[in-house]
Amino acid sequence: MDEPHDPVPVFGTWPRIYAAVVVCAAVVMALIAVFSRWPW
Amino acid sequence: MAPLDWVVLAVYLVGIVAFGMWAGRGSRGMNDFFLAGRNMRWWAIGLSVMATQISAITFVGTTGQAYTDGMRFLVFYFGLPFAMVILCVTLVPFFYRARVFTAYEYLEQRFDARTRTLTSLLFLCGRGLSVGVTLYAPSLVLSVILGWTETTTILIMGGSTIVYVVYGGNRSVIWTDVVQMALIWFGIFLCFGLAIARLPADVSMRDGLAMAQAAGRLNVMDTSLSLRTPYTLWSGLIGGLFVALAYFGTDQSQVQRYLAGSSLTQSRLSLLFNAFLKVPMQFLILLTGVLVFVYYHFQEPPPLWNAPVLARVEREAPAELAAIREKLGYASWQRREAAKALAADRARSVEYARAQRELDAVRAQAVALARRVTGSDYNDTNYIFPTYILATLRGGLAGLVIAVIFAAAMSTLSGELNSLATASMVDFYKRYLRPHASEAQDLFVSRVLTAVWGVFAVLVALRARQLGSAIEVVNRFGSYVYGPILGVFMLAVLTRVPAWAAFTAILAGEAVVMTLAVTGAVHWLWLSVAGAVAVFACGLLLSPLRRRSAPAAA
Repeated sequence: MDEPHDPVPVFGTWPRIYAAVVVCAAVVMALIAVFSRWPW
Repeated sequence: MAPLDWVVLAVYLVGIVAFGMWAGRGSRGMNDFFLAGRNMRWWAIGLSVMATQISAITFVGTTGQAYTDGMRFLVFYFGLPFAMVILCVTLVPFFYRARVFTAYEYLEQRFDARTRTLTSLLFLCGRGLSVGVTLYAPSLVLSVILGWTETTTILIMGGSTIVYVVYGGNRSVIWTDVVQMALIWFGIFLCFGLAIARLPADVSMRDGLAMAQAAGRLNVMDTSLSLRTPYTLWSGLIGGLFVALAYFGTDQSQVQRYLAGSSLTQSRLSLLFNAFLKVPMQFLILLTGVLVFVYYHFQEPPPLWNAPVLARVEREAPAELAAIREKLGYASWQRREAAKALAADRARSVEYARAQRELDAVRAQAVALARRVTGSDYNDTNYIFPTYILATLRGGLAGLVIAVIFAAAMSTLSGELNSLATASMVDFYKRYLRPHASEAQDLFVSRVLTAVWGVFAVLVALRARQLGSAIEVVNRFGSYVYGPILGVFMLAVLTRVPAWAAFTAILAGEAVVMTLAVTGAVHWLWLSVAGAVAVFACGLLLSPLRRRSAPAAA
């Protein structure tokens, strides 16, 4: 069972962590797209 | 391999078995053996989740695939971070609060016993087959590097893993996974760093990437809408999302890892840890394969990467092979010169691409010859990285990378054996045969079942040679069953459909998946989507029928 006092680390709330994961994933994919098309 | 390499490999094998047995000591019942006493922290579970997913195939198959086909496979992981968030919001709290041992137990609480049993049976079929292939892939590596037979490798790797999983259960699995994952990360950075260091002095990393790009090895984002084209952006985002939802949300080998968390927060954090790291890690592994491709611009690649097959072709078709070698030497020289020209002047990419195509054509002739001589569908993608390791690494590093491949295989195998034993024990033995046995009896049977699944995995591995490229085979097995399993969990969590409709929908969904798989109508990445959607739609469509025909029964 989830303890009521088990804090959500760093971000404070679950929605903020989820938003951070989604933003981070989108940024990583964008960087990969740039990497693959960069005029090396 | 040098003596020091053998020492490194032996130290790893003995050390990991001893550590696994030490970490798993003191199990007193099923709660300890299968769920590590439910007191694990997020970082240990997170590393275990990651280690269970990274098989040896990730190293052997993915790097080889990057060499031959480029980095397109990366899109397979694009749906994973989003899947982790969806699971943390939906299924993980359900599982945690239901205090279940297996994900499928929850289906009996929501539907009925036969739905739970059928779903658990599908898991046992899918995972039972893939666990053998997981064990088989590293045996390919060692057959080349160590000169062992694949059978010997399978027996040593399978046997050592079975020992500590049978003794210590899930606690052994998680703690050995932590050590193995640390070793794997070290191996990834080592191989990546060495691949850069092995480039010739007058070729920079940027030059190497320009060559890879001109050869199409850096292509990731294919936006084609075709359902048959492999690894498009859409199949990665949508298909990969469903595969990840099914794998991390309904596959017992993963669910069991985060059920061991000391709280719901710890379980959620372990999945989000993977959401952050998985895509960057896979990118590094694929880029290492691309750098190996660049390395072989300046060293002549062999006509065939599988040394025993090359020796056989040499014996049985010496004249034809000699002609191919001569053409390969010339094509390699041409490509080397074109690569140097490209390094000096980026406008020379057309000449370089032509030289690459000519080399590919010669290589295709060598593969065709190998297929004719061996009478098989010869594919040596999985032999590229091992050959590179053997050619370039010295001073115990080859032994270390081989230990990393062992670690990747054993971490996946251990989690899978533990989960197969759990599903057999909880969903069948305890459910139908001996529900009231003592803790000591349960523990004994749990260990026996773990050993039985271990032996089964070894037997499947010994027959896996007949299958195609290992990386796709493992994922393909899962795609046949994970979609329908995911579909029934979606029905459980998102709808109020009755048990009979859910059960019928699973059968219908499995029929749809098998039809699509047999006819080859879609690429396998879409099978999980098709299975999940078919089960969900059938459940919703069937649900009102019984209500109309027999309202009293509702």
